[in-house]
Amino acid sequence: MNIQASPDDTQDPVTNKASSVKDIEVDRHELDQSIAAFVDRNPQYYAKAFHTIHDTTTGIPRVFNWAAALLGPFWAAARGVWGFFWAFLILEIIAWVQIGRGTWGELGADAMAQAERQTARAEEFLQQAQAARDAGEDPSRFETLGGNLMRAAERSRETAEAAAADAFMILVSGLVLLVVLRVVQGLWSNVVYEKQYTRWRVAPDEVPSGVRVPNVVFGVVLGLIIMPLTVYRFTIENIPDWLTAFPANGDHYGATARWLEAVIDDAARSGAGAFDGIVLAVRQVLDTISLALIGTPWPVVMAVICVFAWRAAGPRVAIFTAAALAYIALLGYWEIAMETVALVGAAVVLCVVIGIPLGIWFGKSQRAYKFAEPVLDLMQTLPAFVYLIPIIAFFGTGNPPGILATIIFGMPPVIRLTALGMRGVPDSIKEAATAFGASRWQLLKDVELPLALPSIMTGVNQTILMCLSMVVIISLIGGGGLGKVILEALQFAAKGPGLLGGFAILFVAMVIDRIVQGAFRRADQK
Amino acid sequence: MAETVVELSNVWKVFGELSGETIAEAERTELSKAEALEKYQTVIGVRDASFSVARGEIFCIMGLSGSGKSTLVRHVNRLIEPSAGSIKVLGEDVGAMGPAELRQMRARHIGMVFQHMALMPHRSVRENVAYPLEIRKIPKSKRWAISDYTLGLVDLTGYEDRLPKELSGGMQQRVGIARALASDPEILLMDEPFSALDPLIRLQLQDQFKVLVRDLNKSTLFITHDLDEAIRIGHRIAIMKDGIIVQIGTPEEIVTKPADDYVRDFVQGISRLKLVRAHTIMEPLSNGDARPDSIRVDGEQDLDSLIDVSVGSEQPLIVTEAGEDVGIITKTTLLRGIQGGR
Repeated sequence: MNIQASPDDTQDPVTNKASSVKDIEVDRHELDQSIAAFVDRNPQYYAKAFHTIHDTTTGIPRVFNWAAALLGPFWAAARGVWGFFWAFLILEIIAWVQIGRGTWGELGADAMAQAERQTARAEEFLQQAQAARDAGEDPSRFETLGGNLMRAAERSRETAEAAAADAFMILVSGLVLLVVLRVVQGLWSNVVYEKQYTRWRVAPDEVPSGVRVPNVVFGVVLGLIIMPLTVYRFTIENIPDWLTAFPANGDHYGATARWLEAVIDDAARSGAGAFDGIVLAVRQVLDTISLALIGTPWPVVMAVICVFAWRAAGPRVAIFTAAALAYIALLGYWEIAMETVALVGAAVVLCVVIGIPLGIWFGKSQRAYKFAEPVLDLMQTLPAFVYLIPIIAFFGTGNPPGILATIIFGMPPVIRLTALGMRGVPDSIKEAATAFGASRWQLLKDVELPLALPSIMTGVNQTILMCLSMVVIISLIGGGGLGKVILEALQFAAKGPGLLGGFAILFVAMVIDRIVQGAFRRADQK
Repeated sequence: MAETVVELSNVWKVFGELSGETIAEAERTELSKAEALEKYQTVIGVRDASFSVARGEIFCIMGLSGSGKSTLVRHVNRLIEPSAGSIKVLGEDVGAMGPAELRQMRARHIGMVFQHMALMPHRSVRENVAYPLEIRKIPKSKRWAISDYTLGLVDLTGYEDRLPKELSGGMQQRVGIARALASDPEILLMDEPFSALDPLIRLQLQDQFKVLVRDLNKSTLFITHDLDEAIRIGHRIAIMKDGIIVQIGTPEEIVTKPADDYVRDFVQGISRLKLVRAHTIMEPLSNGDARPDSIRVDGEQDLDSLIDVSVGSEQPLIVTEAGEDVGIITKTTLLRGIQGGR
């Protein structure tokens, strides 16, 4: 024990001023009490170990915890060092599996059985040879067969013996691994435990301390379930089926699937009016945009796009745009590319029209946002293939349902970033506007929206990009545009058309992205 | 006494669901902030505050951070709803106003300046100043004319078309003052307007502000955590601690007669030279002290000027008020007076 400051020699803190940094000493008495409160059992040992760790200058403290070395992961469980427990439990299972295989695993059993069968057959042949010789016939055929089989049995026996010898090596390697792991645990445990102590000082209620019976029980039960089962699984040759495959019941699957189908059909039938209305509205938006892009003569559209690129994003983007449009037009993708643009355009317009007001609402109401957040997460994490099915069930196939799928995928960023922007408006500025008599509408229009605008624009940009990536996938549910070209090329493994179409999509995406980014950057600088 | 412009009577602000219960108990007993938090999970922000501000007066509320001074001042334009008590602005009960009426009052009668300026970064200086007028739907030509004039008052002519971020902190705060003055309100609420500025700029702005308010005859509620600042510009000062107004008085009263130890601690470091007047430190005349050739000083003269007079002579000073000799100040009295009544 190395307690330097006992209560009676603590001096007046004012007179006991240290004259230089190296004279400053830790109050060991208070530290030891705190360590004792943390470790519960064996306070002297751990106080000494922690002091050694604290005093070490080399980075590798010379402390060895025999309890951790002997008990392994169970020490960690008892002390509540769960990361340590799991890591070494898994590593020790590897060691125990090796030991188990080396000890009980009949590694050469197959080969040995084969050798015995072969010997039996060989002896049969040899007997037949003997019988033939007795009968005065030529025994050479049987003798050759018997001899061959004898040699084969010999080889099998050698294999079996080699495997048995391997078993010994496996046993030894398992034992070595176990010993190494235990030594590592003995050396490392105090270091880890001291770190836990440091965290415990900050949050005594959250970091486990002392030796708790439930922890011990939990650790032992986990160990007893996991270790023997795993070792058994890898050691024994013929294991029961229920250990390798989950006993699933096929009937449950069929019944649930049929029930779901019925529910969806019912819902689709009863809400048919509403769903058709939505499809109709989406179709209106899409048709308007398509008409403008495809109905207008192509030179006009091309010129407008190029000029717009120039005005919004500068001459370099305009030149790139012209080149990209030339590629698309020359390969005959013009109309189909414009259909893609119309699809993206319709999806983005709807995303923005619905998303920004929702974002404003979620930005203002913490409660609404809390409800919406998991839905937004779901919209973004669900793989597109998964919600294509309900979309077909409710809205059918074709372009408008495709746009709806695109909206589901593309809308979250604009909602999120609008809400983020709204929440980022400084309270002081809002308070100032209120203090000068602004109404809620004036506050929104004059303060909140202008200050949230950069964030909203970032959201719109991201939504555009997400919609672009999604319009290709909607060809799976009958969506048109360049996605359809790719899908057909995929189905016939047509490399040439697929690549050409792929580049066309790439160029459409790049042109839109460049123009939008350039426009936003200019707006930012203003 | 001049007309009362702002009047707060028995205003309480308690944050938390059980505010009513907290007030009921705190009115009867000495329920402390910590006890209220423990017993009712409420936070007492303002405790039974009453004061009034007269027309043309600068009324300072001084206290450390967390003392409730910013909370208190936000009751005047009802940015914060009081838990109890009444607030009158220009004779009208603020608590009884509907939303439209309240907005009207804020836009017409009260200008507010904030510690962190709170200017709108996307609008030019001129449009920031014009914003209170824009809220009132005053036409643009008029708005621009008024804001240019107001910017002139705070010496910012020539900066109208800059963005706030292009201006220094002191200039930004002058924009804030101009914005508060733009709709020509009777009342100014200043929430630590100069706290975030460096000391030299602060002194400059204090002086400029004092002159401006006097010339425009505004009534001002001025929040500060700096007693020097309060003494420098305030006609009267209220000292707040833990939501309670501990003392209200003129700077001289606060410095010479602190109400309790808390105020005394504050006052200790304050220079008394410009505050304490002859009639405060004089001692009673005894017969034969006042000779015709004695040096005479006026009762209203401050210590600073008394020192100037006193260094030229060995004789005690005779204090006169309205032509009559009323007291005597010896060198000892004067030195003790500078030290502050120990």
